[in-house]
Amino acid sequence: MTELERRYRWLLRAYPPGYRADYEDELLDVLLATAGPGQARPPLREVRALLVGGIKARVIAAAQGPAWMDGLHLTVTVLSVLQLGVLIPYAGTIPLWVALSALALLAVLRGRMWAALPLVAATGLKVVGVTYGEPWLDGTLLPVFPDRLWQAPALYGTGGPIAPSISYLVLFFCLAVLAIRGRPSRRRSWWWLLALPLVAGADPAWLDIAEGTSSSITRVGLEAALLAGAAYAGHLTGDARWAVAAGVCLVPATAVLAENVELASRQGVAHAALLILLTATAAAVPFRARRRILL
Amino acid sequence: MSRGSSGLSEQTYFVLAALLDGPLHGHAIIKRVVDLSQGRITLAVGTLYGALDRLAANGVIVVEREEVVNGRKRRYFRISDEGGQLVRAEAERMQQAASVVTRRALGATFG
Repeated sequence: MTELERRYRWLLRAYPPGYRADYEDELLDVLLATAGPGQARPPLREVRALLVGGIKARVIAAAQGPAWMDGLHLTVTVLSVLQLGVLIPYAGTIPLWVALSALALLAVLRGRMWAALPLVAATGLKVVGVTYGEPWLDGTLLPVFPDRLWQAPALYGTGGPIAPSISYLVLFFCLAVLAIRGRPSRRRSWWWLLALPLVAGADPAWLDIAEGTSSSITRVGLEAALLAGAAYAGHLTGDARWAVAAGVCLVPATAVLAENVELASRQGVAHAALLILLTATAAAVPFRARRRILL
Repeated sequence: MSRGSSGLSEQTYFVLAALLDGPLHGHAIIKRVVDLSQGRITLAVGTLYGALDRLAANGVIVVEREEVVNGRKRRYFRISDEGGQLVRAEAERMQQAASVVTRRALGATFG
């Protein structure tokens, strides 16, 4: 194998495994046929084209199966990541509940909705208890302070009980729909776990964008990137699954703003407006793409 | 890249034009597009196969046959009737658009 072929094979990993199994050799054949004599490195425009082509092929491959159900699975994945992220700084004080939340996320990623349901119900009940100042289910000493590494307020110490309750209710409801429909959900990528450090300790109720802390900027950037990605995927495929996920996730996000509206800064309102605008775009784009086949 | 009213990009237009004379495989399409565009358009392989997948998914082209050359699979693509109509309609649209300017230039020369 030449150095050029080895590099092209590495670049072709941008494509999904099924696509590679069918067409990797064909693409490689053409790539090597178009190369100049003695060429060892792929030209930059080809690198870019292969990376973009690989991402597009992955998005198209993801748009398989019933859009609504897969959209709900995406929703429960995002909400499970966010809810575990909020609990992580308190792992030393409430290890059992953080572990249950982590198990719920693993069950969701593996597509085991029946397994995730009781875990989410138990964690949700505990969290709602904390927000009401009640040590439900065990004798947790309230308020729950973060571990020493973290500079964060007490668990759900800011904001009211309504937004966290809505967030867990939405998650539980979506999980129940997925569980009772009978068919197994697909497995989600382990790459979702990489989002955990980015959202760790970021309770949306004390997300103070006006202060411009690194955690708030990271979270806003992540939200905007995910929603822009949802809009792009909907544009490419005309498929609504990403719009469904974006729309349902907006419910708990809006509940946070509605519950804490008196404390919201101008930047906080602008953040909410950005989320609504990007979600509306993600929701509208698939219908426009369906009307006009993109060639 | 600008798109005509049919939604065809210039690159896609030339890919379809390349297939009007008969089925071609990927590398032959790239070479034919270079010839037809007088060297102006050189398709990257990643771009070409993205376009071919999209066109095949929409029934504008079809896979005519597969061959194995040097142990590697090679697909030959053929333009469908729908694809032929699409690219001809785009050609007529561009011809009409070009005539808006060229008629004026001719009028200035002879008038």
